[in-house]
Amino acid sequence: MKSSAICREWINSLPPPQGYLKKEQTIGRELLLKKGMPSNKDEAWRLCNLNKLNSFLSLPEFNKRDLSSKIKSIFPEKDNDRERIIINPHENPIKDINLPNGIDKLSDMEIKENLGEIVKLTNIKNDVSVCLNQAASSELLALKIKSNFHESLEIVLPSIAENSVFTRIFLLIEEGAKLDLLQVFIGKNNSAQNHLIEIKLESNVELTHGLISMGEGHQSSSICTLAVEQSEKSKYSLHSIHHGWNYARFEPRIIQSKGEASTIMKGLQVTKSKEQIATHSLIRFEGPNGKLDQLQKAVASEYSHCIFNGSIAVPQNAQKTEAAQLSRNLLLSKRARIDTKPELEIIADDVSCTHGATVSQLQEEELFYLLSRGIDNDHANSLLLQGYYEEVVSNFPTSANKWNFIEKLIREIKK
Amino acid sequence: MISSTSKTILSIKDLHASVEDQHILHGVNLLVNEGEIHAIMGRNGSGKSTLSKVIAGHPSYKILSGSIHFKGTNILELAPEERARIGIFLGFQYPVEIPGVSNLEFLRVATNSRRKELLKSELDTFEFEDLVKERLKIVEMDPAFLERSVNEGFSGGEKKRNEILQMALLEPTISILDETDSGLDIDALRIVASGINKLSKPSSATILITHYQRLLNEITPDFVHIMADGKIIKTGDKDLAIDLEKTGYDFIDKNSKDREMAK
Amino acid sequence: MTKTNTVEEIVSQPYKYGFITDIETEKIPKGLNEDVIRLISDKKKEPKFLLKFRLRAYEQWLKMKEPDWSGLTYSKVDYEELVYYAAPKQNIKKQSLDEVDPKLLETFDKLGIPLGEQKRLTNVAVDAVFDSVSIATTYKEKLAEHGVIFCSISEAISEHPDLIEKYLGTVVPINDNFFAALNSAVFSDGSFVYIPKGVECPMELSSYFRINSGDTGQFERTLIIAEEYSSVSYLEGCTAPMFDTNTLHAAVVELVALDNASIKYSTVQNWYAGNEEGIGGIYNFVTKRGECRGKKSKISWSQVETGSAITWKYPSCVLLGDNSIGEFYSIALTNNFQKADTGTKMIHIGKNTKSKIVSKGISAGQSKNSYRGLVSISPNAEGSRNYSQCDSMLIGDKASANTYPYIQSKQPQSNIEHEASTCRISEDQLFYLQSRGIDFEESVSMLISGFCSDVFNELPMEFASEADKLLALKLEGSVG
Repeated sequence: MKSSAICREWINSLPPPQGYLKKEQTIGRELLLKKGMPSNKDEAWRLCNLNKLNSFLSLPEFNKRDLSSKIKSIFPEKDNDRERIIINPHENPIKDINLPNGIDKLSDMEIKENLGEIVKLTNIKNDVSVCLNQAASSELLALKIKSNFHESLEIVLPSIAENSVFTRIFLLIEEGAKLDLLQVFIGKNNSAQNHLIEIKLESNVELTHGLISMGEGHQSSSICTLAVEQSEKSKYSLHSIHHGWNYARFEPRIIQSKGEASTIMKGLQVTKSKEQIATHSLIRFEGPNGKLDQLQKAVASEYSHCIFNGSIAVPQNAQKTEAAQLSRNLLLSKRARIDTKPELEIIADDVSCTHGATVSQLQEEELFYLLSRGIDNDHANSLLLQGYYEEVVSNFPTSANKWNFIEKLIREIKK
Repeated sequence: MISSTSKTILSIKDLHASVEDQHILHGVNLLVNEGEIHAIMGRNGSGKSTLSKVIAGHPSYKILSGSIHFKGTNILELAPEERARIGIFLGFQYPVEIPGVSNLEFLRVATNSRRKELLKSELDTFEFEDLVKERLKIVEMDPAFLERSVNEGFSGGEKKRNEILQMALLEPTISILDETDSGLDIDALRIVASGINKLSKPSSATILITHYQRLLNEITPDFVHIMADGKIIKTGDKDLAIDLEKTGYDFIDKNSKDREMAK
Repeated sequence: MTKTNTVEEIVSQPYKYGFITDIETEKIPKGLNEDVIRLISDKKKEPKFLLKFRLRAYEQWLKMKEPDWSGLTYSKVDYEELVYYAAPKQNIKKQSLDEVDPKLLETFDKLGIPLGEQKRLTNVAVDAVFDSVSIATTYKEKLAEHGVIFCSISEAISEHPDLIEKYLGTVVPINDNFFAALNSAVFSDGSFVYIPKGVECPMELSSYFRINSGDTGQFERTLIIAEEYSSVSYLEGCTAPMFDTNTLHAAVVELVALDNASIKYSTVQNWYAGNEEGIGGIYNFVTKRGECRGKKSKISWSQVETGSAITWKYPSCVLLGDNSIGEFYSIALTNNFQKADTGTKMIHIGKNTKSKIVSKGISAGQSKNSYRGLVSISPNAEGSRNYSQCDSMLIGDKASANTYPYIQSKQPQSNIEHEASTCRISEDQLFYLQSRGIDFEESVSMLISGFCSDVFNELPMEFASEADKLLALKLEGSVG
């Protein structure tokens, strides 16, 4: 079947546009029909194993109104000083929650004013990932983090099997607020998730954003688009981990709308068996004195494929930008594959931009050193991998530890 | 060495200067005559290095008021290269590394541009090599450094020797040596100091900018100036440096407090 | 527009090769079809296999679309408006230099490439190509003593058809890309080099390409074959007169290195780049590829790209033989409205293959300078290594520097390292040089050659200083 026909069939299977995201749904569906699913001729999808996208359109969309308490209980105990919001994609996500001091629901007016603006600003309005989400998302988690807020928040999606799930989140972080945000997405057997997250950082905001994205079980897929607008003097640090997905695509798009801000991105993607995980990041500096420190690490074993595509755009008005990007990759098997492509587009002349990439295996000398101290091969390998992950993992909010993701990462990869 | 018939080489009057909108020099006065060796001492941030950069014409420094005359000519309008050609030499505290640019070629181009000013013939590659080999002896430098890129991978001492080698080649009328002694071990300090001594002539002058007395044990200054807050607050002979070494810079604070009081 | 007028307009970028040689030219009518191809083949008295080769390529070309993927916008070429064969009217089969039109010799004299016995460069053999044909090759006899064949490709087609049939189109297949297919169909002339087994070529070989006619497409074809244990260093230079229309240059270069052979290929490209408003200039859409077919063979590309309105080229190495080596050293300088999209592909197939990429891009004016490269390590290329370094220098705040290094690895026992940086001329370095009496322009030019020195060191001696001067000349007036 042609991709447009598949799209039409899928759209017809969805409930007709309704609710307060009605307009978004209509637009998303129109765009998707017009564009169809991606092909390998699109530069952004060139390396994608397109078959892996089928589940997004073939799985039934999750539509149960209540999440059983059983699902909640599988989450680790939450910390006392940390609010946790569990998203039900088909229910008002904050219905049963007393929002803590300093966090408000966004008013309808504010939603109308802000929703989709960052998507527009980051130029991803027409991306298939975004269209898919817009076409199907029927609920929205829209929060305002107020200036006096200086605490932590967890946003967790229950792991749902045999279904497709679409969530949409909008966070407006007001001037001077300090937020420690942890998002956790867990995929179960035969599931597909698509998330669209918009975050607006007003000036002087400090946001530490941990994103743990884990596929558990067979055939789980995830597409996550993260659009962030940073106002001047804001600090954004994003720490992300993707692993265990049959297919995952992570697209952080960050705009420093007036420059003068600082961005840190530390990402880790780990693949095994026939998995494919891709990170497509973009940062654009729309004003002077912006800073970027980006590190993307990938580990590919068995038959898997890791992809990294990192764009940095420094237009003429972004003088004195300092950007550094590093892509470090470990290729652990002869059948695995790594593709990495930094993309720098620079017009301003008074800037300092560097990028680098390496692809290699675990260092034989390091391994030998450990073996020569009597440590067995498996253990030595895990130690080295742990060391390799450390750079990304160490900056996660401490509360992330209880999700045991590091142990899982190390258990999964055996050389 | 000082005689009443000495001609003035450098005359700085009430000089105010700023960098990145920060007012650093607050009225410097300095008179340097032929044959004289001046030492300028002072704490970090007192304006010593700024003064040297301003004399050499660094574009980041702005002159707010005052004047600098070299042999009677106002040099404030001159580009850095023009100042160098008429005989002003700045020995850098941190000589910059320039990868890819051959040290030998750099020295030759610089030497020839000075020679042109002096109406001497330009030297071709071979003639220059002879000259540079002879001058290398003054700083006891390994000719291998000529083949490398300018200062690239040079140790601190090697960079300073390369500075003095440039001074030897350019034969300046006035040399301003900014912390040439910093980061040098005893042997390197002796070599550099003896180089400076060998190069000084009755018709030229030297300004040593330094933190410590130890360079002044090797090169005897005729005048010692102490700088604080962008001004020369005290001038004396070589004994002033020795006093300073004994008492430290605290007396400056005392001094400035006294001045405050006097106001 | 008169010639002097044009020169005056280009203040910031004096192009001293912009003159036109007034010479009677034989041209075939405009446009491209099968008959034109037959006519070209006929004019060159080519064997049948070559006509077939051309016609096959033409058939493929008709099915292909002009590429538009790199974000380079240019006014598309009207292929029916081009002349595909132009040659100075003279006895093509020239026996000696005496028979070459003196006007042509004078042209090359003016370009600094004297061909006459007395004046010609010592130790460099030159093949001079004027529009579509090779007009003279120097030192042929001396090279022949060593068994080295160095001649125009037309001559090779008639004198050594077996070699041509065996190798032509084997590195760059006729359907490789749009411009390669076009070239394969209509190529006019170019150079041919054959180095027999065990021979170290006794002198530098060099081709000099000159476009003279305004409406003629330049489609030269170069083929270099280095047999086992042989080595050669080859250099090409290019210039063209200043026209306010765009001229298409779509060359194909194929290199074959067998066991333990080594080929060094250097280019100093100085086609007319258009004026300061971006009018005119050459479209330089070139396919260059070398195959290291043999064990321990080596192909090294070095290029200094300063000319052309648009450059689109990726000299590449296919490393088939175990332990073979590929290298790419590049300086690309763009000014005014020039666009250069250049880089390399290193395809590692054999075991223990090594590649090294050093690219220096300098963009001034409103130009756009992109490095685009691919390093690919295939599953069998155990023990392979790549090191890449891409540095960009920006001059002024309207120029752009882009870097797109694709890396693809399927072999864990391999190492890839890539480093890149973007900078401008350091004020501290500039002040240091100036404070030693070196004037502003000269300081800048020293710093730029310093920036490029890794690549200059790879150029043949005779041309390194020439290239250095070229860079200084191109940048005049653009800094400050």
